[in-house]
Amino acid sequence: MKQTLLALIVSAWSLLATADATLQVEDAWVREAPPNAHMMAAYMTLKNTGSGDAVLTQVDSPAFGHVMLHKSEVVDGVARMIHQSEIVIPAQGAVELKPGSFHLMMPAPEKRLVEGDRVDFVLTFSNGDITRVQADVRKKP
Amino acid sequence: MLLAAVLLAACSGPEPPQLSQGTLLPSAKPVTDFQLTDHRGQPFTLENLKDNWTFTFFGYTHCPDVCPTSMTMLAQVQRKLEQRDGLDKLPQVVFVSVDPERDTTALLSQFVPYFHPGFIGASGDEQNTLNLTRQLGILYGKAEGSAADNYLVDHSAAIILLDPDGAFRAVFGIPHDADLIANDFLAIKTYYEATQ
Repeated sequence: MKQTLLALIVSAWSLLATADATLQVEDAWVREAPPNAHMMAAYMTLKNTGSGDAVLTQVDSPAFGHVMLHKSEVVDGVARMIHQSEIVIPAQGAVELKPGSFHLMMPAPEKRLVEGDRVDFVLTFSNGDITRVQADVRKKP
Repeated sequence: MLLAAVLLAACSGPEPPQLSQGTLLPSAKPVTDFQLTDHRGQPFTLENLKDNWTFTFFGYTHCPDVCPTSMTMLAQVQRKLEQRDGLDKLPQVVFVSVDPERDTTALLSQFVPYFHPGFIGASGDEQNTLNLTRQLGILYGKAEGSAADNYLVDHSAAIILLDPDGAFRAVFGIPHDADLIANDFLAIKTYYEATQ
């Protein structure tokens, strides 16, 4: 019964996510957070092999209530996070979501995610394309 | 003439170290007393800096990117120093909250030791936090457009090194590299001990 249910969920999930051949996602991971941390961050490399820019406008995840596009910047020695309404991946280019730069910010879920857990994300682009990503929870800088 | 040169060399003392990542202050700046509370609920004051080398980083527990990155890097520095022979005592690492409204002792007690069991979390009211940050050239403030209970905090990303006299000795700007900071720390410590 459990397996059937799981298969159904996976199929439903697959229907929701249509792979975009020109957009590749590599090395997606979520940083394990301390117990009772309120916020978490996720990182990945987005590669666009297409001839037009890809514009990431929204990210959703069944693991998190809300996923925000953010960028950390250090200006004159002061670190700040800036909300991004979109992230543009240039044609034939790549954007790295990495610590200290672009990242996804999520309120931590009630059940703590720990190293080894896997989390799904759905990336929505301005042209309506969606890409499904599975990220590992990792402990790393 | 030769004697004068020898005397001059003796008086001038050792040369300050060339650092890879940090900036050594031309002269150490003594810190005046401050009143914070550590993550165990105990007072954390100038006395806690005495007889210890101290790395301090200023951040907040709701920060998901820069602060965990710096804390993990500081844990790497600590592990590298743990492996060095001849280091009698490890520096202490203190995370000072720039968000005392939300960073309760209970939150700090889970956030800070997660990165390294020896790390210390400290917080104080606005006045006491400013008393320390102003002495160390640290800036912080709620980000523009923040809501009352859901806000981001802009803050200096530098790591400050205080010497065992409780004086501001060096600053490490971003980006941080654990190997370079560990090596710089040892060079600063050697220089400090040679000039005592």
